[in-house]
Amino acid sequence: MNANAVAARFEIPYRACLDNDGNLIGPLPQFAQDAELLRQIYRMMVRARTFDAKAVNLQRTGKLGTYPSCLGHEATHVGVGAAMLPDDVLFTVYREIGAKFWRGVDMHSVLLYWGGDERGTLYPSTPQDFPFCVPIGSQMPQAAGAAFAMQIRGEPRCVLVFVGDGGTSQGAFYEALNFAGAKALPLVCVIVNNGWAISVPVRQQTAAQTLAQKALAAGIPALQIDGNDALIVCETVGEALARARGGGGPTVIEALTYRLADHTTSDDASRYRDSVQVEAAWALEPIARFRKFLSARALWDDAAEGALKRELGEQVDAAVHRYLATPKQSTDTMFDFLYAELPQHLQAQRDEARRYAVRRA
Amino acid sequence: MAKMTMVEAINMAHAWEMAHDPSVVVLGEDVGANGGVFRATVGLQQRFGAARVQDTPLAEGLIAGAAIGLAAQGIKPVAEIQFMGFIYPAIDQIASHMARLRNRTRGRLTCPLVLRMPHGGGIHAPEHHSESLEALLCHHPGLRVVCPSSPARAYGLLLAAIRAPDPVIFLEPVRLYRFARQQIEDDGRALPIDSCFVLREGTDLTIVTWGAMTVECLKAAEQLAGEAISCEIVDVASLAPIDFDTILDSVVKTGRLLIVHEAPRTCGLGAEIAATVAEQALYDLLAPIRRVTGYDTIMPLYRLEYDYIPSLARIVDGIRATLAE
Amino acid sequence: MTVFKLPDLGEGLSEAEIVRWHVEVGDHIEVDAPMLSVETAKAVVEVPSPVSGTIVALHAQPGERIETGAVLVEFATDASAAGAADRAAGTSADAGTVVGHMPDALAQDAAEAALEAANAVTHTRVRAVPAARALARSLGVELASLTGTGRGGLITLDDVMTVGLPTHGASSTMHPAASPARAGGPTLPRGTAGAGSVAAGTAVAGAAAVGGPADVEQLRSLRRAMAQSMALSRDSVMACSVFDDADLHRWRGGSDYSTRVLRAIAAGARAEPGLNAWYDPQSQSRTLFEHVNVGIAVDTADGLLVPVIRQVEQLQASQLRAELNRLKLAAHERTLRSEELRHFSFMLSNFGMMAGRYATPVVVPPAVAILGTGSVRQDVVALDGKPAVHARMPLSLTFDHRVVTGAEAVRFLGAVIADLEQPE
Repeated sequence: MNANAVAARFEIPYRACLDNDGNLIGPLPQFAQDAELLRQIYRMMVRARTFDAKAVNLQRTGKLGTYPSCLGHEATHVGVGAAMLPDDVLFTVYREIGAKFWRGVDMHSVLLYWGGDERGTLYPSTPQDFPFCVPIGSQMPQAAGAAFAMQIRGEPRCVLVFVGDGGTSQGAFYEALNFAGAKALPLVCVIVNNGWAISVPVRQQTAAQTLAQKALAAGIPALQIDGNDALIVCETVGEALARARGGGGPTVIEALTYRLADHTTSDDASRYRDSVQVEAAWALEPIARFRKFLSARALWDDAAEGALKRELGEQVDAAVHRYLATPKQSTDTMFDFLYAELPQHLQAQRDEARRYAVRRA
Repeated sequence: MAKMTMVEAINMAHAWEMAHDPSVVVLGEDVGANGGVFRATVGLQQRFGAARVQDTPLAEGLIAGAAIGLAAQGIKPVAEIQFMGFIYPAIDQIASHMARLRNRTRGRLTCPLVLRMPHGGGIHAPEHHSESLEALLCHHPGLRVVCPSSPARAYGLLLAAIRAPDPVIFLEPVRLYRFARQQIEDDGRALPIDSCFVLREGTDLTIVTWGAMTVECLKAAEQLAGEAISCEIVDVASLAPIDFDTILDSVVKTGRLLIVHEAPRTCGLGAEIAATVAEQALYDLLAPIRRVTGYDTIMPLYRLEYDYIPSLARIVDGIRATLAE
Repeated sequence: MTVFKLPDLGEGLSEAEIVRWHVEVGDHIEVDAPMLSVETAKAVVEVPSPVSGTIVALHAQPGERIETGAVLVEFATDASAAGAADRAAGTSADAGTVVGHMPDALAQDAAEAALEAANAVTHTRVRAVPAARALARSLGVELASLTGTGRGGLITLDDVMTVGLPTHGASSTMHPAASPARAGGPTLPRGTAGAGSVAAGTAVAGAAAVGGPADVEQLRSLRRAMAQSMALSRDSVMACSVFDDADLHRWRGGSDYSTRVLRAIAAGARAEPGLNAWYDPQSQSRTLFEHVNVGIAVDTADGLLVPVIRQVEQLQASQLRAELNRLKLAAHERTLRSEELRHFSFMLSNFGMMAGRYATPVVVPPAVAILGTGSVRQDVVALDGKPAVHARMPLSLTFDHRVVTGAEAVRFLGAVIADLEQPE
């Protein structure tokens, strides 16, 4: 019987693979043998960034509503997408277009959603994935529930849920993780720590030294990674998913990155953070370093870059054109998806809405 | 005396009260360094310091609950929920505690505080950012719910809300934030927090409304004045408890009532007003009470939001139909 | 030429101040390249070019404040195949302004200046039970002409029926109370049974036992008024009926049944004025009228209406016919005025239009008699001891035996028959 003992210790491992110049600083992951996969990861990151820039411009020219840029997050988002299996289910916050694009969601859908049209949440290629989630943290318990279903049915499938640094302050975050731990659910939670919750920096968000360690309160193993390193993202998320798939329970991975743009197009980050910090963060950005990594292995060159830019330019233009040409839904659609069957007393309201339909978009 | 928008008036009211009452503390997400996502609290942290203007972690339940604790300790919190659509995590604190503290302690503990938030839609905001949920809150005895419709009334009512001995939910119509400018004297004068405002006098019909819908109602009245139709417009402003005396006096005078609100029809605050007027002034009515409201649907994403929000045409037709009875 | 207006920069921002242009007139600019900086209430925003093209005109200067939707810049767009999106952006540049509708800035001061001084005429409005209001409208009764017997002068259903249908109004048991204009709580109008206390859609007890589909219909308006009126009649009138037939075989062609009957009633009233009268049991008095004002029962889609032909004794047949037609049409179209529904001195029911020979029509007080005519038939009659076939009109006369004697009644009836049997 000891009067003093150590009740628990903990460590949060940190892992990285590429430094910010694209040099290998850790062992090359197994999947990196696949050159085409590596190129595909790179192409998808550039795709996300290209689309993202266009979306911002659409908002600035009055053609899109408020839009949250993913500038700087491409490695975390695409790395997760590449690590998941098609049969897994993805829950996002609202920035993770890289992951959605990898899983087959098209640019037109993303534009529709931010352009004020619910049809943007139709995901034919991933019909079980949830749409963007705006109320912060509320995707967490839902993700746990979906993982719970997979466990009940004994399926070799996983749920991956994204949450931001701000989201880790919400009660729903803790409740969901606690449940996942208690039930050993097949859930992988990727905390995208981009340093900012609108204007609130992480050090004001919490006193915790890492966000990953919040998982330990739920008894869940956790690690922290360089979120700008697409290789380590893909590797660690892949490992966690494999563990979960095999019944090994949940994992929390905190991916360190930086929000290089404003929170959304309605925000002006220059009000609360200085440009020196942002410039320093640019030096760590994920796409440049990955290009260097590919080039060093003779997997990429200027000609490929040029071809990619042209191809992406066309894809983005086509998506924008299709989006701009999409007429708004009829007023009936306000009523079509309220219940499985529209209650009779609402038919009169549906008729009234038709009579007063606004013609302008 | 400058002309200012509603959001500037709200800012000015904050500043006045913080300058005159050292117990007032502002808290919420992005209210400090950023001055609030709509700039309602801009400049306050610079002027009054970080101890009195606090950026909180991202957690609405926490904001509401912490406000209760602060208030019970004698601090006067003016807390912000970034959009009304995000109030749900805070409902437990609001309903289980904020509304009840005075009651369950027989007055020993109270929580005078203001919980303010943007209300309603119409600015092409993303999903969940355009909600009108006042009925949810008005249904809790013990809460005050206030919704100004002009810069001057926002100034005066916010001061009243901060000074009130009861918890006040302060709903700020988001599409009125920068809609119009008014000259406002920064004199610290509060408006009554238990009173409707008659925005326009008339004789043929009473329109009862609040928030951003007052603008469309005033437009409708202006348009129909050209047809010799005289509408009286009552801005409820204090949604809970409601000043029914003003409403009933108006209905007795005109004999006709049209209620206009953006929130969905079923169980909306209009239903409460209609029921009370029917109970107390049925024999003075010349026509059935009519409501023009949002439909009983989810607020659509912004491409359809002006099909959802009661339009000028719907209001004008509602007035005509009531007069035709 | 493409015009680009200041776009809706998001979330309620209605104007912006030009900070700096990054282009000049004559410059060529690529789509998405930075074009100008504007400052909003929230931030300094970079606005990119919506199209590829050449700047033709700049419509705002640095330092200028412009509103969302105001014209900013004009382009001559490239005709290049830079992408359909560019073209779409270019041709819809004026749609690339405001996504959706921003409310016009209505000067709130002006809106509040519309607050008028209290110069409104104070109305003395008639306060009426809503059901009474609706009945009055269907009967064509002016509420303002009524005295309400409800609480605080409230007009009740009974008050409307007293005037709209001649009923015994004295049966209502109301005492006007000095109460405030507004009740303090839920109230029901007191007074005639059923006026306010029947829940909508209540079936008659045990109706379901009859079996089969059934439709529960709450009585409204005319039908309801009839129910009330008949109840009152039953409770007060001492009804007695006498039946006879008028032999019409001597009629020459062209006779109009309705106008002949009206003329016959006038003849009856001349012979026996006691049936063209009102009786007031309270004062135990009766009023004999010089004019014969006949209330004619008309069956409309909504129920029984009784428009009144006045001074029948003065009118020629053609005038009677015209007036009859006018009133029947007005009855069906519900355009009868209240004075056309009031104050008959005698009532007529041509019930035999479809079927029926004899009936016991109901006297509607304060009138004292009602004549019902059945369907005209070819009857076998005895003529000089031999059978003959004659057209005959069955007549049913009900009278109030409280104030009309049997002898008076049959004298009246005899006179009616005598007139009817005239050739023309």
